[in-house]
Amino acid sequence: MFAHLQRLRLWLLAWAALSLLSGMYIARGELTRQQDVFDTNARIVHRLLSQQVVQHDAILATLALLHGGNAADRPEQRLPALYGQIAAAAHRGANETWPSPELANAEAESLRLKRAVLADVDLQKGTYQLVLAAQPDSYALTIALRNMVPWAEWPMKPDTSPVQVRLDLGAKTYTVQAGRPFAMGDAGWTFEARKVLAAESQPFEVVSRLHVPWSALPWTYMLISAGTIALALLRGRMLVQQRTQQRREEERQRVGQRTRLNTLGELAAGMAHEINQPLTAILANTQAASRLLDDAEPDLTAARSAMQMAVQQARRASDVVGRLRRTVERPGSAAAVQSVDLHAACQHALYLLEPELQRSRCTPTLTVDGTPFEVQADPVALEQIIHNLLTNALQAMEQVPLQQRALQLVLSHTATHGVLRVQDTGPGIPPDALGKVFEPFFSTREGGLGLGLSLCESLAQGMGAHLSAANLPNQGAEFTLQMPLATPAP
Amino acid sequence: MTAPLSPLIHLIDDDEAVRSSLALLISTVGLRVQPWADPQTFLKTFDRESIGAIVLDVRMPGISGLTVLDMLKEQKVDQPVIMLTGHGTIDMCRRAFKSGAAEFLEKPVDDERLLEALQTSVRQHVQSRQRNQADRVTRQRYAQLSEREREVLGLIVSGLTNKEIGRALNVSPRTIETHRANLFAKLEIDALAQLVRQYAALVDEDTAA
Repeated sequence: MFAHLQRLRLWLLAWAALSLLSGMYIARGELTRQQDVFDTNARIVHRLLSQQVVQHDAILATLALLHGGNAADRPEQRLPALYGQIAAAAHRGANETWPSPELANAEAESLRLKRAVLADVDLQKGTYQLVLAAQPDSYALTIALRNMVPWAEWPMKPDTSPVQVRLDLGAKTYTVQAGRPFAMGDAGWTFEARKVLAAESQPFEVVSRLHVPWSALPWTYMLISAGTIALALLRGRMLVQQRTQQRREEERQRVGQRTRLNTLGELAAGMAHEINQPLTAILANTQAASRLLDDAEPDLTAARSAMQMAVQQARRASDVVGRLRRTVERPGSAAAVQSVDLHAACQHALYLLEPELQRSRCTPTLTVDGTPFEVQADPVALEQIIHNLLTNALQAMEQVPLQQRALQLVLSHTATHGVLRVQDTGPGIPPDALGKVFEPFFSTREGGLGLGLSLCESLAQGMGAHLSAANLPNQGAEFTLQMPLATPAP
Repeated sequence: MTAPLSPLIHLIDDDEAVRSSLALLISTVGLRVQPWADPQTFLKTFDRESIGAIVLDVRMPGISGLTVLDMLKEQKVDQPVIMLTGHGTIDMCRRAFKSGAAEFLEKPVDDERLLEALQTSVRQHVQSRQRNQADRVTRQRYAQLSEREREVLGLIVSGLTNKEIGRALNVSPRTIETHRANLFAKLEIDALAQLVRQYAALVDEDTAA
């Protein structure tokens, strides 16, 4: 029981470890995928916003090039209508001044740097101005960031996307896309991408951030995988248990067989000793007596006593044999005779021998000549006889090619007897061995004990049946078992 | 036939019938038999000096005949041992011969084979005892020799003449002759051939040591 629990714990541990590994693998895959998507989106966002701000530079430069002309015909006044993000456009003529000093400072800076310059950046409101100094007129654009984002080309859904996108300038920041809120240090994974916009005049830094909390991991897949692993392990455990069971069964059979052989060996050794001792004494006594009688003046008393001792020892040997017979004999074996369906008995024996039959690729045929019948027999002994005869036939046919193997059981009956014929297509019985096959310790098989058929005959005689052997005209041997019918045919 | 000093056969078998019948059989050729039912008693009390042989059953309760055989060899018992067994295996046979058994016979044993084995064994035992006896005497005599005499004996055995020995030992051949005469007297030897035959082995053993 303890060992069983131990094993169960081992399986559980294996399951936990495998589930953890697969979970980690799935989570890592998902995180990598999310990071890839995030990185791509961040790059697109940077490109889109850069394109927008570069446009502002281009617009200002164009205004400067178109300079002057008709003051009433100010082209920049039409810009807000063309570009959504341009809230207003202003210019300063040759003898005008900017409404605020900041714009004036920016113009001076722009003159120095020879490019547009930021002024009046108010990221809270989301506006800034871009000033370009030019001759005769300088220009300033007021940009509304809210309208600058090209939502139509935006790679994410601004309302639902968990990604935060901001534009930073120094400490100031403008939120382009709110995303999923999180605090630094929250459990989970955070991806971040920072890149300054590709316009020297508007050096806003695009900051994209995505936080993936634990809860966003693909738990469903992970659970499904853990479940699948559990099922696979259960199946494996079942297979292992089956294998163990099978191996144990095989081992048990082998041990049983060995025990039987050992018992048999022990029996033989014991018998040999028990019989050998009196035989030794008999031989020594008779030979001593014969030597004594050969003497010129035979010591008849000694010779006679030696002969008497020999007689005693012969009795002792016969007692040993008698005792052995009584030990082995099963009491009341003759009383077990009853009505038995011979056909069913044959089927049962074939069923038990199924594995052996398959191994020797042999399909047996069981045929009944005439009407069905029942015989008088000891069911156990009958089963043993049929089993032995079939095994014998299979062993005989091991010596012939597969396609020649055929095992036939033929049932028939006479007026008084039921007959079972077991016919094989093996090499048959050598003519000189035909009379000896039922003798104990006679075997034509290498390593055979020669007890199988002898036992069959004893069993048959014990229940009033008769067993005989013959060779078939073409090939193979036939064993015939005759038993009295249970109800003699009318 | 059964003279008091005839060889003595020790017969060890736990089966009374076997013991008495074999004893009777052995006695028909004039050998004395001492039967033993118990191998332990036999080991403790049998006469180790007696001339003869031991007949030992392999299968005995308490102690196997093979174990008894090993103990006999350990105790340097020199009587030849004939093993008897009811069902001898090749392995058992090999073990018995390895432990120095003189013969290995199966029960029931034929009289001819047993008696012949016994007679051969007894003959061999007598010879080995005689050899040992002679050996002992030879050693005793050899021990009486002086250092110089042993040296001279060694050179005689290697086939040198008196003159050559004198040269080798830096003494006159006359002195060697004296040594030689003493040697012959002490070892009770008449002829040179006898000297070489009996003492060559001892000299070799001595110089090797």
